[in-house]
Formats: sequence, C-alpha cells, structure tokens
Amino acid sequence: MPAGLDNLKHIVVLMMENRSFDHMLGGLSLVIENGQKKYPNINGLTGNESNPDTQGAIVRVQPNAKFQGQLDPDPDHHFPGVDLQIFGGAPPGPGRVPNMQGFVKDYFTQTNDVNRSHNIMYYFTPDKLPVLSTLATQFALFNGWFSSIPGPTICNRAFAHYGTSFGQVGMDLFYILDTAILSTYERIIQAGHTAKIYYYDQQSSTMEIVNLLKNQPQIFGSYQQFIADCASNQLPEYSFIEPCYNDHPGPGGGEILASDQHPDHNIQEGERFIANIYTAIRTNPALWSSTLLLIVYDEHGGIYDHVPPPACTPDGYFANPADTGTGETFNFDRLGVRVPAIAVSPYIAKGTVIPGPEDPANCRIFEHACIPATVTNFFLKGDAKQTPREKQANTFLDLLSDQLRPDADIPFFKLGGS
Amino acid sequence: MATPANAILVPATQRGSYNPNRPAGLLLRSQTLHIREALLKHLEELAAVLAIDPKSLKTEGEVSAYIHRATAILHTHAAKPARK
Repeated sequence: MPAGLDNLKHIVVLMMENRSFDHMLGGLSLVIENGQKKYPNINGLTGNESNPDTQGAIVRVQPNAKFQGQLDPDPDHHFPGVDLQIFGGAPPGPGRVPNMQGFVKDYFTQTNDVNRSHNIMYYFTPDKLPVLSTLATQFALFNGWFSSIPGPTICNRAFAHYGTSFGQVGMDLFYILDTAILSTYERIIQAGHTAKIYYYDQQSSTMEIVNLLKNQPQIFGSYQQFIADCASNQLPEYSFIEPCYNDHPGPGGGEILASDQHPDHNIQEGERFIANIYTAIRTNPALWSSTLLLIVYDEHGGIYDHVPPPACTPDGYFANPADTGTGETFNFDRLGVRVPAIAVSPYIAKGTVIPGPEDPANCRIFEHACIPATVTNFFLKGDAKQTPREKQANTFLDLLSDQLRPDADIPFFKLGGS
Repeated sequence: MATPANAILVPATQRGSYNPNRPAGLLLRSQTLHIREALLKHLEELAAVLAIDPKSLKTEGEVSAYIHRATAILHTHAAKPARK
C-alpha cells in the first residue's frame, strides 16, 4: 500500500456551487510558457469553442468573466434548460448527440438580451483565480468529473450524500422512501466511524435534503467548529463542508458574504473560503499528512463547458416527463455538465491530471457518486449498502503516492486584507 | 512553511460585494422550504413532550426520559454564528 494511503485518516469534501470546468479552469489550457502550452494535459479551452446565439451569430469563448455582476439573472440550470444546453435544442428522442451548443440560446431565455446572453461563454483567466488555479496545477485535477444529473443543486448534492437522488431531478422536497439506502454519514457512523457535515453558520445552514437535517442533527457542525476541529486534531474521518450560501449580517454588525460562488455571489469570496479550508488543514502538520481534500462543484450552473457529458449506469430510478419538463422520461443514464474537481494531498504528485473523455484509452469518468463510493470503500472496507451508481463509480484514492512532497514544494495562501 | 517561493497572495474580495438586499434565488427559496419541513419534526416532538404531565412521572427512569426529551429540544446542537 502506498504511504499516502497508509497514512490516510481523513477525507474532506468541499462542495461549491454552480460553475463549470471551462468557466473556472478552462483558461489553464491557454497558458503559454516558452512557446508551449504550460499545462498540455488539462482538457480546457482552445479559444475557438463557440455557441450560436438566437440571432445565428457565432459566439466564441472569451476571457471576460467577472467576479460578480455578470451572471444576473441566474443562468438556467434546471432539467429542461440543461437539456437545451447539452443538445443544442434538438428535440428529445433516440439518437440525439450532445453537442454543447445551446448555452447562449438558453441564457437568452433568462436575459432577453442577445448581448448579455453571450456572458455565458465567458471564462476566467488563471490569474483571476489564484486559489483554484494553484490547487489545480499543484495537485490533481480531474478532466472528467461531471455533475451526477443534468439538473440543479439539490438532486446533485443528494448524489454526493447518498449515491442517488432517489429519482429526483429538481429542487423539490423529497423524502427517502427507500430506507435501504443510507447516507454516507449514517453508514460510517453505524460502523463505528466518525463523520460530519459542516455548514457555515446558522444563517446559511445546509443544503442537505430534509432527511438528514430532520433526523440526524448530531452529524452537523459549523464552519467555526471545522476550524477548531482541524486545530485540535478532532476532525472526523469524513467531513463534508458547505460554504456560506447568502449575504447576511455578522456578529456585531459585520458583513458575512456568500462564499459558495453561486451566481451572482462574488467569486473572490469563494476563493478565500477555499483558501481558508486548505489552510486549516495545511497548517496542522499531522492533519496535512493524513488528509485528502476534494474540492468539487455541485453542478455547472448553466455556464458553458465544451465536453459533452457521457452516458452512465442507470441508478434504478426514473423521472417522469412531468418532472423532467422535456416530455421524456429520464432514466438517470446520462451525467450532467462537467465541473471543476481537485484532489489535494501532500502525497499527490504536482501537476497530476486525471484523463477524461479527451483520452479514450486512459479515460476515467467521475461524478458525485464517486464520493460516497470512495469514502465507504476506504473507511468501511467495502460497503454492501452502496447504490448502483456507487458500485460502478471510480474511486480516487489511488492518486495518493508513496512520496510525501517536501513542505517547501507546497503552496501557502496569504489572504490580502480589505 | 510559507516562503516567498510558495506563498500565493489571495486578494481581498472587492468592496461593495455585500448585498443582503439581493433578491433570493430559487436555491435559497427552496432551502427555506426544506428548513421549514425539518422544523415540523421539532413541533411534533415539542407537542409530544408538552402533552406529558410532569406530575405523572413517578420514577427516576421516567423523569430522566422526560428531561432527556425536553433538553434535546432546548439545547440544540447548533453552534454559534461564525466570526469573520
């Protein structure tokens, strides 16, 4: 067993909100150094990717993404809208080929403004996102991590917690009727291990579906507690972290900004939040050498990505036409749009890129069911309660090597003051 | 530890980003429905505990069970608000 795996005691997952891979990290492929691509293995943008707008004009990707104020109204990311984004408006039916040509058209349905609909093609240059870009290039970046469903937040987060959304493709309340399927946290705790969901604070709370919040309040903690648990070596074996989801007053009249990066929240605040999570682990040597941190986004938020989502193993549920809004039943047999995903550990080689669909011979597809699959495979040494999607899921602990990287080789973040 | 070579500066968030008056999106509005649903459990439990007449509790076991249920409602797990 590699030393990195042998020393692993904690898995921490930070799930951010609603940004696509190309929007956040696609610009890494355009970085040139000494006349050559600096990151040739990253499947980002060439600069020639495009979508037609509603007037028939070709809209190319542009490095014009702003931290805030550009994606208001919130881009559509519900099932019918994502269907349009992926299939370019081809009517549902057999034989459709995903072409990623409907993003601008779909954003026009929100903006009713042709020029503003082009914003959906904008991406960040790496210098704008020093935290995410640094972590992506210093540790392991997944070229093929997709949201679990071509739909919105709640059902995608359910896959991260349960390995299924129990047939849901939307934001509605739902109750878990299949009691044979337990959350990752329940499985871990029932086996005598430790797990926690850390939400930011009481004003932000959790996006977990009702069931856990209603029935297992003991598995929840705050961000403040996460920081304290890191410092005191009290971190559970498995931690899931939720960012701050809204702007609200802080103690003593301060300002707490949303850090989830959901449009139209400020991207920079999310960068600082990611840096703080990393730093809390990084600055405790015992924790740093025994923890794998996964930073992943729940879904793409309606923002452009150029990689068509692949087909996947159905999870045994289906969503009715009335729920999908497309006139077609959905059998959970296709993944959602690609999202940023980065694995961080001192045992991960610098510049690791896990190949995705661009490299068919070595392709490894990941989605949110890979989280419970990886966590329960490791801590429970095999788990009979895994869902069909978990059973088929790739796991990611093989990224941990035998080599502990020297401290001087690993970045620190210095947060600038206001 | 941090050296000039491995330190990455993270800029402060732009001034003026804070806007608690921003209209709440669908995600946040959905969250309120979910939270309300979770609250109902506490309402049911509160009603159940209040329906017990404390004078009917005779044994230490009965008293401790009552106090346990009441304390679980009064002392939630929730932590204090985070400080920035």
